[in-house]
Amino acid sequence: MSLLEVTDLSVVYEPKGAEPTYAVKDVSFALERGEFVGLVGESGSGKSTLGFAVTRLSKPPARISHGRIVVGGRDIAGLADEELRRQRQGGFAMVLQSGMNALNPVRTVRHHFFDIFAAHGHVDRRRREARARELVAKVELPDLVLDRYPGELSGGMRQRVSIALALSLEPQLMVFDEPTTALDVLVQHAVMRTIRDLQREEGFTALLISHDLGVVLESTSRVMVMHDGAIVEDGTSQQILHAPEHPYTQMLLSHYADPRAEVVELPGLAVRGGTISTASTRSDDAGQDGAVAPAARPSAVRAGAHRSAAREPVVVDHVSKVYPAPRRGQARVVAVDDVSFRLEPGQSMALVGQSGSGKSTIAKLVTGVERPTSGTVHVGDVRVDTLRRRGLRDLRRQVQMVFQDPYSALNPLHSVEYTLTRPVVNFSDLRGRDARRRVLDLLDLVGLSPVEQFAAKLPHQLSGGQRQRVVIARALACDPQVLIADEPVSMLDVSLRAGVLALLEDLRVQLGMSMLYITHDLLSARVVTDRIMVLHDGRVVEAGETAQVLRFPADPYTVALLDAVPQPGRAGDAA
Amino acid sequence: MRYVLSKIGLLLLTAWAAITVNFLLPRMMPGSPADAAIAKLSRNGTVSPATRAAIEAQLGVPGGSLWHQYVSYLDSIRRFDFGLSYTFFPQPVSELVTKALPYTVILVGTVTVLAFVLGTLIGIGAAWKRGTWMDSLPTLSGSFLSAFPYFWTGLLLLFFLGYQLRWFPTSGAYGARTLPGWNGAFVSDVLAHAVLPALTILITSLGGWILGMRNTMINTLGEDYVTFAEANGLRSRTVAIRYAARNAILPNLTGFGLALGGVVGGSLLVEQVFHYPGVGYLLYNAVVNQDYPLMQALFLMITISVLAANFVVDVLYGFLDPRTRR
Amino acid sequence: MNPTPAPAPASTAAVPDHAPSGPAPLWRTAVRGLATIWAVPKARLGLVILAVFLLTALFAPLLAPYGATDNSFGRNEAASAAHWLGTTAAGEDVLSQVIFGSRISVVVGFVAGALATAVAVLVGLSWGYARGFLADVANFVVNLFLVIPSLPLMIVIATYLQNSGLAMISIVIAITGWAWGARVLRSQTQSLRSRDFVTAAQFSGEGSWRIVFREILPNMTSLITGSYFGAATAAILAESGLSFLGIGDTSVVSWGSMLFWAQNSNALLTGQWLLLLAPGLCIALLATSLTLINFGVDGLSNPRLREGKGR
Repeated sequence: MSLLEVTDLSVVYEPKGAEPTYAVKDVSFALERGEFVGLVGESGSGKSTLGFAVTRLSKPPARISHGRIVVGGRDIAGLADEELRRQRQGGFAMVLQSGMNALNPVRTVRHHFFDIFAAHGHVDRRRREARARELVAKVELPDLVLDRYPGELSGGMRQRVSIALALSLEPQLMVFDEPTTALDVLVQHAVMRTIRDLQREEGFTALLISHDLGVVLESTSRVMVMHDGAIVEDGTSQQILHAPEHPYTQMLLSHYADPRAEVVELPGLAVRGGTISTASTRSDDAGQDGAVAPAARPSAVRAGAHRSAAREPVVVDHVSKVYPAPRRGQARVVAVDDVSFRLEPGQSMALVGQSGSGKSTIAKLVTGVERPTSGTVHVGDVRVDTLRRRGLRDLRRQVQMVFQDPYSALNPLHSVEYTLTRPVVNFSDLRGRDARRRVLDLLDLVGLSPVEQFAAKLPHQLSGGQRQRVVIARALACDPQVLIADEPVSMLDVSLRAGVLALLEDLRVQLGMSMLYITHDLLSARVVTDRIMVLHDGRVVEAGETAQVLRFPADPYTVALLDAVPQPGRAGDAA
Repeated sequence: MRYVLSKIGLLLLTAWAAITVNFLLPRMMPGSPADAAIAKLSRNGTVSPATRAAIEAQLGVPGGSLWHQYVSYLDSIRRFDFGLSYTFFPQPVSELVTKALPYTVILVGTVTVLAFVLGTLIGIGAAWKRGTWMDSLPTLSGSFLSAFPYFWTGLLLLFFLGYQLRWFPTSGAYGARTLPGWNGAFVSDVLAHAVLPALTILITSLGGWILGMRNTMINTLGEDYVTFAEANGLRSRTVAIRYAARNAILPNLTGFGLALGGVVGGSLLVEQVFHYPGVGYLLYNAVVNQDYPLMQALFLMITISVLAANFVVDVLYGFLDPRTRR
Repeated sequence: MNPTPAPAPASTAAVPDHAPSGPAPLWRTAVRGLATIWAVPKARLGLVILAVFLLTALFAPLLAPYGATDNSFGRNEAASAAHWLGTTAAGEDVLSQVIFGSRISVVVGFVAGALATAVAVLVGLSWGYARGFLADVANFVVNLFLVIPSLPLMIVIATYLQNSGLAMISIVIAITGWAWGARVLRSQTQSLRSRDFVTAAQFSGEGSWRIVFREILPNMTSLITGSYFGAATAAILAESGLSFLGIGDTSVVSWGSMLFWAQNSNALLTGQWLLLLAPGLCIALLATSLTLINFGVDGLSNPRLREGKGR
């Protein structure tokens, strides 16, 4: 008998004053004892809603409308509160997405364990301390975390504590909802390894929910692909990897590649050795976010025509940035430590590293948002690090920025047209009808047509990918020479990333801009940049041609970063 | 410890600022409050030089250098010398204030703490049972009650429970025939007199605490740690109290400190309604008789008391939140 | 709360085919805002109560049976057909006084509320934008104003200003009542200015003023409206408290001064409970209506609600 049998499960969202929507529609599946199964889907697919429903954690406005959830022979779908609560010990546990906030900030880790022991009484009072120590040891943490408050632990440690707490229930089924999403790449990798090891040793049945097919294929033996509230494909990892049947699965898979390979191909983007090429038509990926690839580009030509001919390099010379200590008694923070590089006109360079590596600080120094503690930054003849208001404004004509989070980079109250008109008016002589013409051209340039319709929209009426296109259009409004792209695709669904990257690369080549591409994602760095710099703790540990560095890394840190890139193919090695 | 020290520093700084505001207020006003006060006093007989100096230190010497005035003002504060009261001639202001202060501090202090605790508990319950009548009843009646002017609640209670039903004494802190002393008769008489003012403050301030706690608690109920605690099968009482309420109480405590000034202000009006001999009633008498020295001293004492209460709340907060201990 | 269909005015706020890039006309914004508030049942109740008081204040001379200070009637009369709420100790009609009294509360509430909110917006925005020493100083000053009990401060100032008129009382209330709003607006400003769209506006070449007024301020409509109604509520309560103490001009008929005279003329002993009940109840209802409206202002900064049924 299967451990978990879900039959015709539907979950409905019933927000006040709005139409109810079904996030999960008549889903049925079963998990065998000891299985490690992945549940993959993009945002809005209903995967987390399903995970919450299976563990009976759905909260209003979400509600299980019908279906059976049988765990160990007992239907828990309609169980009353107290009965349900008792089932959780030795039954089913959940590890939440943001492990950061899953712990009560005013209770020590020890109290978290003791609360669970007290609630279920499954651990003898005298054994509690020993059991808590045992559990934190299982997730590779020292005993002393038991005395700590959550605020005193790092993100990775907190997520490990969450896992240990869920484990303390001695569950038969563990649901992991995006357990590593909020963590740094290397930490993600380590936590995933711990989860895999635990599953093998403890033998619980695990359901791993993730947006990242790569992560899931690496860890699980079976994968369910969810799309639009339904499970569209369910098969062994090998099947999914080598013979995916559903077009959606095939599309997801096409967005994975090994940055170390000689030839890297993503939909609409290909790189062979060091040569990048973008597909001439991007209709397939454009369909994902409703954007249409412009057939002809009169606007691009026009835009290119009236720009200044002079192209100038960005020169960063022995730059350091030191922030004062965050609290008294702590050390000051060296964010950037003696970094030098030169970005030639028309070149695109990647700055890669984990959070805290100093890559975003370098972006702030180049754009004049922050000033270096020592060293100089030049854009052509202009010395950026001493600029004041007026000069900074002039610098913006040359240096523009694409932001990470398309949801926060657009003012929710301004229409697309307003957002794009502002830089046009501020940086050119175009007014009135001419300015509007230019705005529509820009929309066309980034593939948002019909342009008139998109111009009138507000940000909340756009998808994530469409918003990011607007952000790119705004950056292009003043014909900059240098584009700083700060993780431009990390907040987007995997299937949308290649489209936005191809657009960036396309425009960069067409308009002759240089680009500083900041990311932690080596695959995207491989496909859009010529050169790369690997940063660690504010220092450059490796630099060179992108293809060369990624294919034949010399520094152990680069190797570690490469190892952390999810590799669907690696599942074959593991099995 | 660093936290407590920094709070003590802040208390001293704020107290200094309040004392300075108190110094500047009469000097910024049109006319000469000091002259007016001395003129009124002299109607009761000659004003001694010491009294004149004390009043001028408080209210300002026309034409004197501001810095000089400030120094003598601080000095008179240090000696707790605020001059003589015109209303209750020839009693020194300091004596009047010291006599009135305990009534207010005990009455308002006790009732406020009681109202806060009660309101917080009701707020916890309302948030936990949100969407049911146990939520909407206290929320709606709370919104309505907190819109009551304190003095009006007082007048209504006084009229119905005092005059019509005659359940409680209607005026003063103890009956005219009771002799003050530490005996059962006196204490019970004082308690009986305190019932109506206390009830007034309780009823009127309760709504605010209920709404405040309910709102912060609803926020914390949406936090991941609450969901995770439920996922781990903790008892609902544990989740409600130790996880949700325990965190919700922190921002609510800050709110308590800040709302305290409003409650104290309202209580002053209540004292006037019941002729309760605390600082509020005294302030009322000072205002009606334009007894500036008394008024000025009372304002300072009220402010300092609120600051002190805020300090206690801050320190308590420090104990409740491990994040401030780091 | 039951989901209720959006009322008729909301439909006028549908997405226009070509969105104007400039600001919408003020009246349109106001109508849209009202429609947003109206959609929340609690707030709708508040709007209705408020409208009743506003109309009463506006048409007081038409509605009141007698003049407010007409003391030609019998003294301390109980309720009768001629005097629905009875008469005062001075022989004035209570109902007429209640009707005319609404003017004071409404005017003081709205004027002092507006003044206090204006100060709060100015201080809150610049404080949220300031850094370093200046921000610390502002922090200290605002906190000082927050902890100093405002009613005693008002009492002291108003007493020095002897028999000051309504304008002065409004100013005094505003001076002592802006700090809370400033604090709330400051933290919102801080959180908004760290959002990418503010940095992006700088990259679009926008000046500081434009960033504050076109990027940040519109996102705070809810908070500003909320703090306005909050300040107005506090002002109404404060004015009534001052009048009740006999501070200010006691010959002006306001709800607070009615209670002042009622207590001083021993209405408690004569058993005229209507004289006590009516003015206080009006104060409480007016204040409650503003609190209720505040349940509906959350939607004001929400673009989805601003545009009616978007998408």
